[in-house]
Amino acid sequence: MKRSPVYLMLGALVIFAAPLLVSAAKVGEAAPDFTTAASNGKTFHLSDYRGKFVVLEWHNNGCPYVGKHYKSGNMQRLQKQWTVRGVVWFTIISSAPGKQGYVTASEENAYLAKMQAAPTAALLDPTGEIGHHYDAKTSPQMVVINPQGIVIYDGAIDDRPTTDLSDIPVATNYVNLALEQAMAGKPVETAATRPYGCSVKYLGSAH
Amino acid sequence: MRWHSSSPRLSSALGIGITLLLCTAGTRATGAPLQHGTLELIAESQWIAPGHPFYLGLHFQLEKGWHIYWVNPGDSGEPPRVTWQLPAGLTPGPMEWPTPRRLSHSSIADFGYDDAVMLIVPMHAPTNLAVRESARLGAEVKVLICREICIPGKVQLTLTLPVKLRPPQPDPQTSGLFATARKSLPRPAPANWKFSVNEAKDSFDLTAVLGRQIKQAIFFPLAESQIQNAAPQKLVPLAAGFRLTLRKSDQLLKPIEQLKGVLVLTAGKAYLIDAPVGKAGAAKSHNGIGIRPAQSFQEEPKR
Repeated sequence: MKRSPVYLMLGALVIFAAPLLVSAAKVGEAAPDFTTAASNGKTFHLSDYRGKFVVLEWHNNGCPYVGKHYKSGNMQRLQKQWTVRGVVWFTIISSAPGKQGYVTASEENAYLAKMQAAPTAALLDPTGEIGHHYDAKTSPQMVVINPQGIVIYDGAIDDRPTTDLSDIPVATNYVNLALEQAMAGKPVETAATRPYGCSVKYLGSAH
Repeated sequence: MRWHSSSPRLSSALGIGITLLLCTAGTRATGAPLQHGTLELIAESQWIAPGHPFYLGLHFQLEKGWHIYWVNPGDSGEPPRVTWQLPAGLTPGPMEWPTPRRLSHSSIADFGYDDAVMLIVPMHAPTNLAVRESARLGAEVKVLICREICIPGKVQLTLTLPVKLRPPQPDPQTSGLFATARKSLPRPAPANWKFSVNEAKDSFDLTAVLGRQIKQAIFFPLAESQIQNAAPQKLVPLAAGFRLTLRKSDQLLKPIEQLKGVLVLTAGKAYLIDAPVGKAGAAKSHNGIGIRPAQSFQEEPKR
């Protein structure tokens, strides 16, 4: 379906106003809805994915902590492993224009191809609206949402807050644990952790 | 010998001079370039001796605008980590961290240091220290340096110190740096100061009784994920102290028993505090019995 630019602008305004009304996402509470453009040109609404597990991955391609998980192939493995099991995986880029990690849609598509990344989609969030909705502080911060639309995990990707690739094989991966436990109908044992990494390079951020 | 960039002899030999010095610094100290700064390993004493503790320093000098992190880095970043290579018997004690600065922007707050900082490491030398004549001390340091972006660095430092039987004497070339670094360490809170924490639904309310009214205070939590680092810390002055409201971290899903951290009152006055946490109301029903003296602590917090 083709939408007029005016329609899109109105949509953007509604999204922009939302964080004033909604407080940041918390574990155990409803995941804030969002509507945003992806690098593949499609528009995604989180609410369309009720009934599925959704993973949100905050991304910045210049951050050494993100680099650890992409150079090692760890993030791509997780994306493939979970999307084949029906999980929806959104990579989210909240870097503002001019800041580290900011990419245009075509730059992101080239990056996804080069890294052989396999998220459901890479969502472009240059205004930081989704980031602020979820109070995302770092890349790679990870959020897991259950089929009822409740946040069941928010925090670090694993328990090794370093840039060392050698830590990956010995790390406990919190996203895997949350998804495995939730899919088995169990409560998520570790539901919130400190999300390690680089600060999200929001519009107006100083360092 | 420490390298001073102001030395006229050195400046005449600049270029190869720096490289040469790094290699020939000899028994006193070595320095290594980092991206956007330098790091050197220095000793406070001229030699070490069996049965006498001594102190080493990791001295960071950073380019303008760049920073490194405190033991609790806050919302992002990572503290420096050291892997020691030491002769048998020598053991490092917990690192002593100077009072950090709040590196804040919008919704994200980090804790760290810019410009220059020295982390002090106490070392234990046993009476039966096996090494003779000299001890070669090695440290592999992993450090994240950030400005707007972050760069992970790894450097290998070595320092060779003579081993003698007489008690170690301070090295006049490094004693100034150690004295300055010690002034920047938070000190144990005086024993007659009393701290208590009441736990409310969304906050910890830290009440301090210090014998005088306090209008300004910042709390730096030693443990991650206890308070919201970027949230404003609302202070209410009290007749004999203050009350500080610290918003709970969203990542805190289990109750905590102690709130440990560094309390900075005015510039340069920083104290280690360790306050018991009680449920709101509990202290009232016990008529303030929940207030206990602060305890000093020396141990490095578990990360």
